[in-house]
Amino acid sequence: MEFRPRNYTSEEESHSLPRAPADTHPLSPPSPSLLQVDVVDHGKNEFYDPLRGSDANVMVSLDDLQDEYKSSAVNEADFELPTKGWTSFKKFLMQRFSGSKMVSISPMSDVIMKSGQVREKASTTMHLEELDDPQKFAEDGIKVISQQVYVSRLHELKDEINRAWQANDRVTSLALAIKVARLLMDTSVLQFYPTLFVLATDVMDMVGEMVWQRIKQKAEFSEDGNVICSLPENFEAKDICIDAKETCSNWFFKIGSIRELLPRIYLELAILPCWRFLVDCPVDVVQRLVMMTRGIADPLASAYCRLYIAHCAQKLPQQYSETGYLIICINDIKNLLTRFLSAEESTDENFAERSKSLISLMEPTIEYIVKCIINDSNQTRAPNILVELGIGMKQTQLVGKLPCISIILHHFLKELPSELVSSNAMEIFQLIECSKDYSFDQCLNYRLLGFRISESRSQFDIINAVVDKVIEVASEYNTLDEFLKVVEAYIDIILQNQMDNKLNMIMDGIVKRACNEGIAENELISLQSIFLKLLAHFNNLEDIFTLSHFIEILDMMHGSARSMVNMHILNMATRKGRIHDPTIVQFLFEVSQSLHDVLDHSNMKNDDSQQPARLISRFVNMVDYGPELERHLAFLLECRAAFGGINDLKETLVHSSNRLAVKAMKDGENHASFVKSCIAFSEVTIPSVPSCVKQLNLYLETVEVALLGGLVSHSDGLLDSAILCLQNMDQMDDLRLPSDVDGILSLMRKLCSLLVLVPGNPQQGVTHVLRNMLALISSQSWVSSRTRTRLLCTILSLAAALSQFELPYHGNPELVLGNDRLFFGDPTYLQELLSLSASTLQNLVDNIMQEPSLVARGRMALEACNCIASSFNLSPEVLPFVSKLMETAKSCLSSNDKYLQSTIKFVDKFSSE
Amino acid sequence: MSVDLNLSRSNRIYRPNEPLEGKIVIKSPSSFSHAAIRLTVNGSVTLQIRGGSAGVIESLYGVLKPISIVNKSVEVKSSGRIGSGTTEIPFSVLLKNPGDGNSETFYETFHGADISIQYLVTVEIQRGYLHKSLSATVEFIMETELANRPDQAVSPEMVLFYITQDTQRQTLLPEIKSGGFRVTGKICTQCSLSDPISGELTVEASAVPILSIDIHLLRVESILAGERIITETSLIQTTQIADGDVCRQMTLPIYIIVPRLLTCPTLYAGPFSIEFKVSIVITFATELSKLHPKSDPRTPRPWLAMESVPLELVRTK
Repeated sequence: MEFRPRNYTSEEESHSLPRAPADTHPLSPPSPSLLQVDVVDHGKNEFYDPLRGSDANVMVSLDDLQDEYKSSAVNEADFELPTKGWTSFKKFLMQRFSGSKMVSISPMSDVIMKSGQVREKASTTMHLEELDDPQKFAEDGIKVISQQVYVSRLHELKDEINRAWQANDRVTSLALAIKVARLLMDTSVLQFYPTLFVLATDVMDMVGEMVWQRIKQKAEFSEDGNVICSLPENFEAKDICIDAKETCSNWFFKIGSIRELLPRIYLELAILPCWRFLVDCPVDVVQRLVMMTRGIADPLASAYCRLYIAHCAQKLPQQYSETGYLIICINDIKNLLTRFLSAEESTDENFAERSKSLISLMEPTIEYIVKCIINDSNQTRAPNILVELGIGMKQTQLVGKLPCISIILHHFLKELPSELVSSNAMEIFQLIECSKDYSFDQCLNYRLLGFRISESRSQFDIINAVVDKVIEVASEYNTLDEFLKVVEAYIDIILQNQMDNKLNMIMDGIVKRACNEGIAENELISLQSIFLKLLAHFNNLEDIFTLSHFIEILDMMHGSARSMVNMHILNMATRKGRIHDPTIVQFLFEVSQSLHDVLDHSNMKNDDSQQPARLISRFVNMVDYGPELERHLAFLLECRAAFGGINDLKETLVHSSNRLAVKAMKDGENHASFVKSCIAFSEVTIPSVPSCVKQLNLYLETVEVALLGGLVSHSDGLLDSAILCLQNMDQMDDLRLPSDVDGILSLMRKLCSLLVLVPGNPQQGVTHVLRNMLALISSQSWVSSRTRTRLLCTILSLAAALSQFELPYHGNPELVLGNDRLFFGDPTYLQELLSLSASTLQNLVDNIMQEPSLVARGRMALEACNCIASSFNLSPEVLPFVSKLMETAKSCLSSNDKYLQSTIKFVDKFSSE
Repeated sequence: MSVDLNLSRSNRIYRPNEPLEGKIVIKSPSSFSHAAIRLTVNGSVTLQIRGGSAGVIESLYGVLKPISIVNKSVEVKSSGRIGSGTTEIPFSVLLKNPGDGNSETFYETFHGADISIQYLVTVEIQRGYLHKSLSATVEFIMETELANRPDQAVSPEMVLFYITQDTQRQTLLPEIKSGGFRVTGKICTQCSLSDPISGELTVEASAVPILSIDIHLLRVESILAGERIITETSLIQTTQIADGDVCRQMTLPIYIIVPRLLTCPTLYAGPFSIEFKVSIVITFATELSKLHPKSDPRTPRPWLAMESVPLELVRTK
């Protein structure tokens, strides 16, 4: 048995492909003629090649389209306000105020209590006065029932109304509807009122719809069922026959005779669309109803009544839509609140509590009406709204006027078009300044103004003046919380307009307040947002350092807010290439340390910990001390001590120290001890990496570096550790997937290729490592028969390579002597390799024969044949193995198999030699 | 066996110069013979004296003799047979003879407390002596004929009012009197029946909180009984325009739909007259007013302030 002698240099020359210089760079943008093809491709599938410059443009435009689509979807949602919006608004109302479980009801709500009486009355005559149910006032008649009972009673009433209507007893329906509307007069139920409103207006809407349908039918069909006309969507009053008109006005007569104001308004609103049968432009009616609502003194009842006006007015055709009445509504609410707020300031706390809850109950009505105003009015009319609000007037004119109520102002500010907000920013600021009532926190309005201004570009001088004023106002706040709430909203504006001195004022303000009282949880959130904005704006650590107090405030922060800021700092710093500046490195190190300290080390797998860990590793990786290699290594040591909890970092540390070693070697002169300490650092660090595969990889990398540095004894030790690592592989759970095994296979092949360089150790025998590997291959359970075949082939190839007079490649010849030189012509050396090969060969063939699957066995046999034929001369000792393997392959695979055919040719070539 | 009267107009409103038209609907399981089918139209003013300013003696008279406006009887069908099933017989009766000229005596329908102006049409089917005659009566509503209505829609004549503690004749509660109040506004004094009574009202000041502001629509019926005129004022309808202690200096609209049947154009006939007025009543929130939640609005009370203005109702074109 003998190894096949090889001449690697001539083989490479004969086998390598002919090379010619290319005309274009493969990664440059394709020429225009190719572009068309690309576009077509692009349309067919979503594949996006990031390297193709011109395609990127196509992607961007596609994104734009999608954005447009999204924004148009939003607009559509807005337009649906009348129908869908109301339904969701009702749901929101019920959910927001679902606190109290018990409802105290006044005797006025007797329709809820005495369900029996309702039926009795239903059968009585239809005289008008019957509608006017005599009220029974009792001094102490307040009863308490559960909310559930109340609600179910209302549902019953709705059913009753429906039933009576179906039975053509419309008078009863109306009478019951009036009773339901009357319930809304009782605001003593407070928290329950919104729910009551939703349920009662459901009934109103139902009645309104039934009346509408009935009159419409009367207008379209005669009594005997003949079609009179078919009403178009936009019919006019003149299209309606006398009979239908008569019926319609009858309804208004009936409703007009209701004594109490509130139920009368609600019922007329319910059938408001029916006015269209009588007059062409029912806007005057809405206007009148708004004025009538002024007669309701109770703030809650009147606010919800106005809400119902806003809702019902939307049922009128769009051409009648007009915001005038809604503005009156809002102004009336404003007057009511002004009176209410001024009256209660003097009284006791209990009252203040009550009024707070009252305002929160009223808020949704304001919100809805304001939304309607802004939605209905187009751009040209929007300035009128401002005038109505008192914006656009001169300061002197404002003095006499009532100040705006802050909660109303808030909702306007929220809804107004952003261009209007920007162009009137100063006036709005003055309005906020004037509105100091407790219906809404003033500082939140300042805050909202800031956010709204930053939505659109606006004139610098306006903005500048407003920001000046705002900072003036904010600096009067004593608490950090209020201060932050306001300034946070203006940070964007300040940064965009480069108002540096204002930024300094803000930072001063924060430091002053934070020093006094520390930073509370909610304040941290604001601070975090401010800091992230600063970081995003400057995007450069040097600039951040020049900001006064930045680091001082950062040090005062804690918890997740601080971690978040820290992460952004790290992210920003590591995106700008290598980090050289020692002060920055020191700062980032501290940042990383504080980030590391709050990590949950027991649970590093979760996403919250992964991101910081990645960022710290990245930072360590990006640090570069340049020529100060010793210092860099010291830094790595420091990092290893400081960030013990992060596993990914250890890999980075090993890579970095290996890189340092290589760098030192390249620099030349007098590096041996430094390289040694780098290798030592790596060697010590690798065992703490938890994954065996990663360890193996790192060991191999370090072996390479050690060999490069000529540290043979180090590399021997490292190789032993790598083998040990492989032996421990079984105990680890790393090998769940076949791809993991493939990974190890390739690592082991890499190990073998390294062994070509490693000088054999005469004490342990030159094949010491190879024998260890062989033992490993047969004992480890994760090694599948296919893997084993390949590994055995690799070892055969390695043995063949080592036997050559000239090795295929060498390490640094000055530092490491190759085996070809070391054992040149030594027969024992060759003998050792041959005996190892013989047992390996036997092993290989046995292993293949045991494979149960035919195809797999055939393939493995071919692989082995190729390996054997290129490693050995086909001497009589080897030939039986080859022919046995060829027979196996032929019996297992079809004769057409290309691999089989080419292998046959290959083997024949050598056997004929 | 039944008989019904179906008038041609569903709202049953007719004018003196228009024929009263409709159908007599007879439903019978078997055919029967009849002597004649007669239709009688009867319009009259019923006067009644009770309570009010009437003295003991007058009230003894009770119902005065009704004043007849129209009484007509026509034979729709002479004797014959009516078949089984549903039979419809159309009719048309002239209310006013063409030669009569003046139709002012056809007062509009009105249902008051003491005075009632009513128009009825009755169908009677006589069936000989052995059978009870069948009959049905339907009220129809009389309105002034278009030609006799004022040419133009009445210009709403507004009257300004102001109500303070000093305009009240009755004694007010001391806190109301001393605290003072001032409610001003305007309200129309002449109003078309087809239009709402309109106006506005502003609470300028009130020391005592307001409980409610209501507008009462009242009718004033006067009857000439012998030498005396007996007048009675009664409530037609109450409409609340303010509920609770409303904002000061805020204008509230007055908008009251005039109810039908219960009103008619203001009428001065010889033996009787029908007039209307509105009264604005402010109820203050005091302990006393809570004890008397429903009191007669005509009676002055110490927790009420009121102002009445006459209202002329007219039927316009």
